[in-house]
Order: sequence, then C-alpha cells, then structure tokens
Amino acid sequence: MFFIDFNQNFEEAGKFLSLFIGLIAIVWLVLVWYSYKKYGPKRTIIYFLPIIIATIFVESAGVASGRYVYPGYFIYLSVFNGAVPLIIILGWSVNLFLFMNMGRYVVSKIYQQRNVVQIIFIALAAGLLGLCLDLIEDPIAHHNAWWVWKGSIAGIKFYEVPILNFIGWFVLIFFMTLATLLIERSRFTENRKVLLSITSISVTGTLIFIAHAAISKLFFLAGLA
Amino acid sequence: MENTIVNFIVENIFLFLPVGLTGIIVTLFLYFTGKKENIEQNEDVVFDEWFLPKIRVNILVLVYLFIWIVLIMIGVFSDFVIPTVIGGTIAVIPLIATMLVRCRIKKSKVT
Repeated sequence: MFFIDFNQNFEEAGKFLSLFIGLIAIVWLVLVWYSYKKYGPKRTIIYFLPIIIATIFVESAGVASGRYVYPGYFIYLSVFNGAVPLIIILGWSVNLFLFMNMGRYVVSKIYQQRNVVQIIFIALAAGLLGLCLDLIEDPIAHHNAWWVWKGSIAGIKFYEVPILNFIGWFVLIFFMTLATLLIERSRFTENRKVLLSITSISVTGTLIFIAHAAISKLFFLAGLA
Repeated sequence: MENTIVNFIVENIFLFLPVGLTGIIVTLFLYFTGKKENIEQNEDVVFDEWFLPKIRVNILVLVYLFIWIVLIMIGVFSDFVIPTVIGGTIAVIPLIATMLVRCRIKKSKVT
C-alpha cells in the first residue's frame, strides 16, 4: 500500500526544477531547525509530522485520481498508487508552519483574547495567506512542468490551474491550522498532544473531505468547475 | 463529471474507511482518557528577529520574502512574465499584512 520509489529518468524534469527543489529543501531545514530551537522536539513534531502524513494521503489521492502528475523528481512516496515527490510533502509542512505562524502573528495583534474565536480567525488568516502564495507558485509550477494538470479538466482556471485546487489549498491549511492550534492550546500533557496530533489527522481529514466535497459540488452545480 | 480527489476517495471508500475509523476511535480514546494539566497558558506570540545591517527582520517574513523572490526570478526567467507579475502582486499581501501589524504595534508603543 505504501512505498518509496527513486526516479532514474531526469530527462522529464521541468525547467528550473532543481532550483525549486533546492528552495523548498533550504526553507524546510531552516524552519525545522528554528522550530526545534524555539519550541523543542515535541512541538516540532506537532507542527510538521501531521501535515506530512495528511498530505501524503491527499496528494497521492490527487495523482491516483488522474488529475495531475509530478514528473522529474528524485524521491517519490506513494499510497494508492499515486506517486508524490517527497519534496512536495515537505513543502506542505513549510506552508503550514509558515502561514499558521504568520496568521497567528497578524491575528494576535488585532484580536488579543486567547479563545476558540481567535483560533478560527488565525486559521482563516493562515488559509488566506497561503492562498496568496499559491496564486504565484502553482501557475509557475504548471508552466515549467513541475506539476502537470490534465488538459481536459473543465471549469474556471487561473493560468491553467483549476480553481478547485486553490480552494483545496485554503481548506487544507485552514483545517490543519485549526487542529494544530486546538491541540497545542489544550491542557493535555506534551506526550498526549503529540499522539493526538497524529491520530486526529483522521478527524481533520474527514472534515477536509466533507468541506472540499461540499464546495466542489457547489462549484459543479454553478458550472464553475 | 471530472474525476476529482473527492470522487476518488468515494470510489475507494473501503480503503479509507478502516484507516479513518481507527484514527477517529483512537483520537476519541486519547481525548477522553487524557489527564489535563493545570498550566496557565498565556504565552504571547513573539517571533525572533534577525539583525541585518540597520534592519530588524522577523525570521518568518525573511523566509517568506526569500520564497517570493526565488519564485519571481523563476517566473521571469521562464518567460512567464505577466502571470508572475499578477501572482507576485497578490503574493505580496502577506508581507504587507505583517508589516502593517508591526507598524501598528510600534505606533501603540509610542503612544
């Protein structure tokens, strides 16, 4: 069900792919090191591991469904026969850590009360900030063939990237931020928080699935996707 | 209808269901059997700042700026100028948001 594959055929690698891989690798190392130094190993696991596991499933399902492929990378991970580059999975953990903390920084200065409402505002801000970066990243990825969408996909597109992809980015970052902050601010022991952060992927994943399915349905009914 | 990720999951529900249900049951067990600590949590969000010559930079803003610059460079050098300019302009919003908040904090400290 789960396997790791090493690609030997680099001829299919898109333009500037090595630069993109280098960018994500550097940023991931810097942020993991920063999180480890500032928050310690357990918090770092809570921030980085659940999103890595969640996106292996989500991205692998995306590839296996035949909507898109990631050609030319070196290391691939796969569940359900959908090969996803390791660096893309690490990129998702960068997205969550970066936008959750930027959202926290912005919201906590505007709305100071530490309650569930603040967590929802932070998750909304994180999702929106992530969406802003995605609007430059994904069209460039598609243009340079780092990530190729099937040409026949209908609906509204932003430079060949379907609108549902951007909705997916927002929904994933929103719910993962929500889950991470709820666990982080709970009064459980640190070990329990680590365990909860991993097992709760199933709960968060179900919510992401329901939200994305509902939004997709609305878009299909409106003829937008 | 297009085959979306949602359709794929529905078609393969017998793969996802056991994993999902097991996870939900374990989560509920961990949640209801966990001992809660009485620790006052009021840590404020303070991000480390790196001191470049004459400029104090928030580490997260610096990382975001680095990603933004590299993506702009790749977009421009791969002859994808207009989408890069449009996407790049939208992608500046997070930087502006954090800078505005910083200005607001500085202003409130002065007054």
